[in-house]
Amino acid sequence: MMQHYTEKIKEIAKRLFEEEKIDIFIGYEKGTNPFFPRPTLISKIEDVNKLIWNSNCALNLCNYLTGRKERIGIIANGCTSRSIVTHILENQIKREQLYIVGIPCEGMLDYRKIQAAVDNKEILEIKENEKEFKVIGDGFEEAFNKEDFLQENCLACTHPNPVIYDEIIAEPVSTRAARPEYEDIKEIEEMPIEKRRFHIQKLLERCIRCYACRNVCPLCYCPTCFVDERIPWFGKSIDPTDTLTFHILRAFHCAGRCTDCGACERVCPVGIPIRIFIKKLNKDAFEIFSWEAGLSLEQKPLFAAYKKDDYDDFL
Amino acid sequence: MYKLFKKEDFINSLYKIKDYKIFVPAKEGYYHFFSPLEKGISPDFSFFNTRLSPKSIIYPQSERMFEFSLNKEDPDAFILKEAEKEFPLQAIIGIRPCDAHAFQIVKKNFDNPDYKDPWWTKRYENTTFIGLGCNNPRNTCFCTKVGGGPFSEIGLDAIMYDLGENFLIKVLTDKGSLFLKKIEGGKEAEETHIKQAEKIKKEAEAKIKTDIEIEALLKKGILQVFEADIWEEISFPCINCGICTYLCPTCWCFDIQDEVYKDKGDRIRNWDSCMFPIFTLHASGHNPRAEKFRRVRQRFMHKLKYYPEKYHDGVQCSGCGRCIIACPTNMDIREIANKMSKI
Amino acid sequence: MNNWKPNIVAFLCNWCSYGAADLAGVSRLQYPPYFRVIRVPCSSRVDARFIIAAFRNGADAVWVSGCHPGDCHYIEGNFYARRKFILLRELLKFIGIEPERLFFSWISSAEGTKFAETARMIAEKVKALGPSKFFIKKRPEVV
Repeated sequence: MMQHYTEKIKEIAKRLFEEEKIDIFIGYEKGTNPFFPRPTLISKIEDVNKLIWNSNCALNLCNYLTGRKERIGIIANGCTSRSIVTHILENQIKREQLYIVGIPCEGMLDYRKIQAAVDNKEILEIKENEKEFKVIGDGFEEAFNKEDFLQENCLACTHPNPVIYDEIIAEPVSTRAARPEYEDIKEIEEMPIEKRRFHIQKLLERCIRCYACRNVCPLCYCPTCFVDERIPWFGKSIDPTDTLTFHILRAFHCAGRCTDCGACERVCPVGIPIRIFIKKLNKDAFEIFSWEAGLSLEQKPLFAAYKKDDYDDFL
Repeated sequence: MYKLFKKEDFINSLYKIKDYKIFVPAKEGYYHFFSPLEKGISPDFSFFNTRLSPKSIIYPQSERMFEFSLNKEDPDAFILKEAEKEFPLQAIIGIRPCDAHAFQIVKKNFDNPDYKDPWWTKRYENTTFIGLGCNNPRNTCFCTKVGGGPFSEIGLDAIMYDLGENFLIKVLTDKGSLFLKKIEGGKEAEETHIKQAEKIKKEAEAKIKTDIEIEALLKKGILQVFEADIWEEISFPCINCGICTYLCPTCWCFDIQDEVYKDKGDRIRNWDSCMFPIFTLHASGHNPRAEKFRRVRQRFMHKLKYYPEKYHDGVQCSGCGRCIIACPTNMDIREIANKMSKI
Repeated sequence: MNNWKPNIVAFLCNWCSYGAADLAGVSRLQYPPYFRVIRVPCSSRVDARFIIAAFRNGADAVWVSGCHPGDCHYIEGNFYARRKFILLRELLKFIGIEPERLFFSWISSAEGTKFAETARMIAEKVKALGPSKFFIKKRPEVV
């Protein structure tokens, strides 16, 4: 299914330009890294043939919408469309500006698992069909089942189909999970406190404070991030307490807004499973408030709404 | 001078060396990193390159430069004092020629007639570089186009050729010779080994096919490239994180921060990235590179035009390809350099 | 160790809890002097970064107190606040800050006695826990 989407996306983009419904179209184009297709901005109808879609288009294109004033065509799968809903609710883009091409998504491939499976040989090209993909390198080729190599967040995805769109390019796909899965979070929650502290510190040991996780996240659009405030909340060195502060405070700023697109974990240059903090918050929001972000334009954000009978076991 | 070592003998010897702090490539999770050789760490030389460059061994990401006391009773209160630290003898085993070349590029900034950075120079002097040539360069490598090569000897004290079961080591400097005396079990290399090494080198060099128009780019006028209208389009994907700058072995920018705890203060130097929005924020509040395309332009102009203009010694890039592999939005320095050269 | 006095940061909302603290004072109700009070206009003003900053700076416990839900001076501030507080407490517990160091209460300006009682209870609990040793930022751990 996914591999036929490319042609449809090109068709739709071409039509939108012809009908003068959009000024620009944001999607992906083929770059030089098969695992990271390049986000692209198409402004001329001749360029629509650059557009592609595949199982490595795993960033969140909503990140490129913030502050734009044009009429924008954009492709969005489940998690991206939910981020767009959040963006609209938070007044970062207007619904009228967008023509959303909805994409039912079958999941993104985890490039680290794939590299490990071929013993880190260099992969130059990836070809896909419905259930399998083939990696091609210098002097080798190997085929795998997509199902065995999906990203962690895609395996637990509860909303693969776009929740908001102007046009959907295929039949909706079936949902893989009945409810979001939080086994790995539960495992950490159940550790005794010293072990838990050590586990988290060890996880963040390699963090180089590149802020890729923050920058790729569509939710992080503050003109001045708390990291850069003049009177600092924490230091800029790689001191472990400062690094932990950055990650938990950023996670808390995304609480109730994150749609688990997995972009943060995908882009981390040193492979930290950085989603655990926001996932913990997503779990609590789901279990305590039955909350999932970005499902509808009618649903007010978690911290901008309340119920009279909300959790209130305080003193 | 060539010596041949069985790989296991070489590695076992490394564990026995006590007077050098030894760094080896070791696998941690999905990636290789240069780690100090201690119990529990096993060197793994079957890698393309480490995820992070060995830059931090000479130039740590965060470093205390000075300290000061805020205690009025202290006679030295409010005076910056250089932080005391040690600079032990170090050896980096298995550093790739691109990374060793990169240290020579960075040296121009930290060790020149006008200015010598005390910390960088001391660590550099105390470090021995035992390189490992690349039998199998990646498609993202382009060291040969920027003055290096898979078996380039620039910046190395010795270079190792991986011959399968053995390492053939060519000693290049006295420092290298001094270090290698501590490795047991070496024997004189024979003609066959040296010929085998030559063959591996030629094949590796031929594998690097990337076309990057450095010559043409160097001839272009700086203003011409700066004012070209290619930058908006080139910079669109960039998310302005610090991955390229922090993984890059030739990037050197830093920020200085003062941090105070009770009555003790520290003046710290941290890596900084020109990609970050507040990199050029002035105290007045003005930011000459507030827009993304200016910052992206700055990075490539600095690496490929300003540095060559100032130092007349090639570009500020050693072709390691880390930025290409790790960039989440596939900003490719080779493509951008070619676009710049075609203005 | 027995001489250690806890350092507890208390964020009190101006209209209710701060008033209660004031009332406890003029009524000469006794409670241990371990509390550093920070007056905020509403409990919802208390951001996660304040609580995190308090722990980073060595606070042994943090106490946030506001108006009873339904009685907020700004009508709905504490409704939003209580959602934030439970999520933040869970997150801090997750990273290893004992949940027994974080207190949230609703105390109205007439409840001077409740304020003093709560303060005594918190002081006792924190004394039993001991000084905070985790997540404190001291001199940067750098080379």
